[in-house]
Amino acid sequence: MPRALERVERAGQAMSGYRFDKLKILVVDDNQHMRKLVVTILQAFGAIHIHESPTGEHAWNNLREANPDVIFLDWQMEAMSGIDFVKLVRTSPNSPNPFVPIIMLTGHTHVDHVRLARDAGVNEFLAKPVSVKAILSRMISVIEYPRPFVRTKSYFGPCRRRRASEEYRGPERRNVVEPTALDDIPNNENQDGRHV
Amino acid sequence: MSKELPAEVFMPPNMLKAKVGGTATGLDVAAVKRAEAAMETLKEEFSDWIAIDIKKLGEAYDAFVASSNRDTRNDLFRAGHDLKGQAATFEFPLISRVASSLSKLIDTFDADEPLPLPIVDAHVNAIRVIYRDKIKDISNLTAITLIEELERRVHQSLERAAAKATRQ
Repeated sequence: MPRALERVERAGQAMSGYRFDKLKILVVDDNQHMRKLVVTILQAFGAIHIHESPTGEHAWNNLREANPDVIFLDWQMEAMSGIDFVKLVRTSPNSPNPFVPIIMLTGHTHVDHVRLARDAGVNEFLAKPVSVKAILSRMISVIEYPRPFVRTKSYFGPCRRRRASEEYRGPERRNVVEPTALDDIPNNENQDGRHV
Repeated sequence: MSKELPAEVFMPPNMLKAKVGGTATGLDVAAVKRAEAAMETLKEEFSDWIAIDIKKLGEAYDAFVASSNRDTRNDLFRAGHDLKGQAATFEFPLISRVASSLSKLIDTFDADEPLPLPIVDAHVNAIRVIYRDKIKDISNLTAITLIEELERRVHQSLERAAAKATRQ
């Protein structure tokens, strides 16, 4: 079993301490039934502050007010796609929280689509079918194992390397500047696009 | 020649962990069971939900046949793609597989070339039949034979389209 998955499995043992009722969660999907399914599962985990958006535009226009801690996002939506939405959240100067974890739900399963989602700034990718365990494992991933953020000339978002790459022992390709310590910033909800 | 700036890597504060807390006190079986029970309750509605998605696919197909253009083609793709994901979740895996084949055809076929309508039509009809007969068993021989034939036709169409593009 991959080390990253083992860690998620182990983390599942810590779930009883989680206070999902403290989280604000945004579910964006143009299919009302899929929204209902995801919301029902999250409510069963204890979440109570759940906002729903039927379109990317609606989600974007209400993002500041909803102020989510986590976003569940569909890919294929009319007009603004999930990918367009992620790019706005990550890079728009008007984004209220460029760091918000985004879990993409999609019927796409090809590796090229996974890469595209990753390159847009998605934290976690969940290929349908949606299940209780799949949602739980993605929630545990973003809670217990958040990815560092990366800013390059062409990308801003979660680190795109697989977590398992921590096992890599070879020379580093990326010439990393001194890490920017943001841990002393009390609340990343205060961040804006100019700050990162 | 300008030198590209190196990547900046940093770890934002883990606000999620700070909010939800969490201690290693053993698997919360109750929460998982609660979610699975809620899912079971919803399953009673799955069939009706899929019926709505299939109706949308039919409407998108009719609109595409009436007027083939970029918009109606995109709508048809989106309806097929939605069904691929929804049907897998809502316990109609064979419908998901047919919808996947349909989505692949539309997505991969050259956007400037007319889609092979008989193959699209066969996919839409296959989805309707699988739903009508409520076939959920992924080993249903009749359904599998039909699906494999559809997938073969899609493969052939895409190969022919690719060969044609190479010649041009």
